[in-house]
Amino acid sequence: MEEAPLIKMEGIVKIYPDGTKALKGVDLSVRKGEIHGLLGENGAGKTTLMKILSGMLRPTEGKIFVNGKEVRFKSPADALANGIGMVHQHFTLVDVFDGLHNIILGMEGHGLFSKIDVEKAMEKLQKLMDDLNFQVPLDVPVETLPVGVQQRIEILKTLYRDVDVLILDEPTAVLTPIEVKELFDVLKKLKAQDKTIIFISHKLKEVMEITDRVTVLRKGEVIGTVNTNETSPKELAKMMVGREVVLRIEKPPKEAENPVLQVQDLWVKGDRDQDAVKGLTFEVKAGEIFGIAGVEGNGQTELIEAISGLRKIEKGKVILNGKDITGRPPKELYDLGVAHIPEDRIHMGLVSEMSVAENSILGLHWRETFRGPIGMLRWNKAKEHATKIVKNFEVLVPSIEAPVKSLSGGNQQKLIVARETSKQPEFIIASQPTRGVDVASTEYIRNYLINLRNENKAVLLVSADLDEILQLSDRMAIIYEGKFVGIVKPEEVTEEEIGLMMGGIKHES
Amino acid sequence: MRVDIRGFIKPLIESLIAIVIGILLGAIILAFSGYNPIKAYIALFDGALGSKYGWAMTLSATTPMILTALTFGLGARTGLFNIGAEGTVYFGAIAALILTNIWGNILMGLLGGIIAGIAWMGIPAFLKVFRGVNEVVSTIMLNWMAYFLALYIVLQKIPNPDDPNKTIAVPLSARFPIIIRGTELSWAFAISVIAAVLAYYVLWHTTLGYELRVSGYNERAARYAGINPKKAIIWSFLIGGITSGLAGAVEVMGRPPSYAISQGMANIYGYGFDGIGVSLVGRNHPLGIIFSGIFFGMLKAGATAMQIEAGVPLEMVRMVQGIIVVTVAIPGILDLLKRVVRK
Repeated sequence: MEEAPLIKMEGIVKIYPDGTKALKGVDLSVRKGEIHGLLGENGAGKTTLMKILSGMLRPTEGKIFVNGKEVRFKSPADALANGIGMVHQHFTLVDVFDGLHNIILGMEGHGLFSKIDVEKAMEKLQKLMDDLNFQVPLDVPVETLPVGVQQRIEILKTLYRDVDVLILDEPTAVLTPIEVKELFDVLKKLKAQDKTIIFISHKLKEVMEITDRVTVLRKGEVIGTVNTNETSPKELAKMMVGREVVLRIEKPPKEAENPVLQVQDLWVKGDRDQDAVKGLTFEVKAGEIFGIAGVEGNGQTELIEAISGLRKIEKGKVILNGKDITGRPPKELYDLGVAHIPEDRIHMGLVSEMSVAENSILGLHWRETFRGPIGMLRWNKAKEHATKIVKNFEVLVPSIEAPVKSLSGGNQQKLIVARETSKQPEFIIASQPTRGVDVASTEYIRNYLINLRNENKAVLLVSADLDEILQLSDRMAIIYEGKFVGIVKPEEVTEEEIGLMMGGIKHES
Repeated sequence: MRVDIRGFIKPLIESLIAIVIGILLGAIILAFSGYNPIKAYIALFDGALGSKYGWAMTLSATTPMILTALTFGLGARTGLFNIGAEGTVYFGAIAALILTNIWGNILMGLLGGIIAGIAWMGIPAFLKVFRGVNEVVSTIMLNWMAYFLALYIVLQKIPNPDDPNKTIAVPLSARFPIIIRGTELSWAFAISVIAAVLAYYVLWHTTLGYELRVSGYNERAARYAGINPKKAIIWSFLIGGITSGLAGAVEVMGRPPSYAISQGMANIYGYGFDGIGVSLVGRNHPLGIIFSGIFFGMLKAGATAMQIEAGVPLEMVRMVQGIIVVTVAIPGILDLLKRVVRK
């Protein structure tokens, strides 16, 4: 006899105003007291579906039932009133508030003179923390706390609103392996208290470990729901991707040659004036991909910005082909043969309001080819260039006059890779080159980076995606709190060892 | 020069809607204040567009506003909120007066406007780039400094010995020829239109304009692309200084009957602020600014007729202008309407 579901979503369709069909008739049922995994690739519609369930988005079509009763959520407040709360991938905390005030934010009463009953709130929170057997400091600004702790505050914030159904959107994306384990302990305790948890992820291992049942989404459709103990990672992977998950990447062995980039005792400060990069020394050789793995926020961003001329170098040297380029501006570096695929394509790599053609010359626009007399910009040349790179890299664009914000993430990323390659660089920095990019584009971009390596270019790859690093790198470093825990060859270490190193535990061998 | 038509339609419609809303709200307030709104508007539009004379008055009122709007529009395209056009106009006018009285030709007058514009607008540019001073704060304060400094010069340094109500006048040899006899429309209008077309050309067809627009949209992307956002800021201020300096120059060189600055600077006051509205309605696009400038010029020119024929005070026209600017400046209102309609 099938247990009656606590939550039932029927035929959910969501079409975004720009015409994107994010969900194409999705059914989902979640039982009371279970941990239900929602698995799928980036863009499969997991987050959209859960934003609908938590009242942030309204479905174009479809029905939602809670405890057998049909509900219509106009706002997250409606969903909360029905006991459904969501912890978002990007935290919604006020950085300068302490934990307590973040948690009671919006619940402090709406009268002009209503007082905040801090003591009562503290009492309730203390009880919640005792029940879950963890403690977080609630009296310091959240920005000073590690990400894992901030996440607990987010979870507390949702639980404080008396929810029965807790939705977690990619909760492990920013955590170290140890923090993940601690999170899972909390989830198990919540489950023991008969709370229902929906766990969004694209990581097979985690889904296998923590969930009771899994629903797999692919391109806005449900592929199936299975009991976790009756399935295998391989089967889930197949459901998720729709084919064997092995990306067709071929990497012939290659001897690396002379060093192209040399970094010596590099120190860089972060945005909060803390030391973010603490004395790194390494080199990237011609014909190799040097990977840097690590949990995000361990100095990768600052390192890349320093090497690419966007951030001040406090101490140390950067040398390109024997020439000291420490502290040189980006334009000079590009002229010396540097290309940079930045980690943040929306805010750095592209100007999303501008057209494909305009973006195709970003950082090349001063070159002779595009300059006419008296500072004129030769649009016909720019358009030729755009047409060429779009064609060569199979970037899908409605037209080269279309604004790049109308392209999908994968195509935006391909456009950046295409543009950077068209600079004919000797040294390429690729930072999170396939984040949020569909499988086909990912495969394309990865193969392309290998091609560059085969052509004897030097590639510096930074990625939070461990598989990517393992697959592409000839040598790899693991970064933790601004220092390398170790530099290894991918084939010589196990994933577990790397996982430990990413958590700051030194590789013993 | 190919222009992407589709990109223009949406902002055009939004601006037109804002204009209609402004006119309707103005009508309601006129009615509540005891005036006949239909009669008032007929007088307004007939006065501004109903005759060759009306058109001429409209375009002559438009002339300085296009130039000051370019200052704001260029700033906005570069990510700046530059409201310093007002003060720059005064010095443009003064410099043109002085230089034409020395050399007595149009070119020297224009050059005076340009130099004064660059010099005065260079101050907020310098403060922004080297000291990190927000341009809103600096330009507001500089507008006041400009006002009193210019007033001092006007009253004490270049008064007209024959007429205490104004300054020395631009000599005949340095006045813009009148296009239509008996009106105030001079060839200064051409200067405005040429400046707008040039500004369009610079923004969309030069590497400098490309860099300005990239910096305006996304400073991080600009830095990444090897563009120096500080350089972009300086250029934006300086070109903006040139256009609003010219606004002052053409106002004294091309506007009969006085060809001078009147007492209290009444004839050159306010164009910098008008320019902000013109630019917003024109969507900070140089070509859009030409058309919204003409619309604002129409309101100005028709206001007199409205006052005479419908007995509506001038202030009412300024109120309608204000409503239109507010309507356009809050695109959120449109989104809000869309959402309400859908419910």
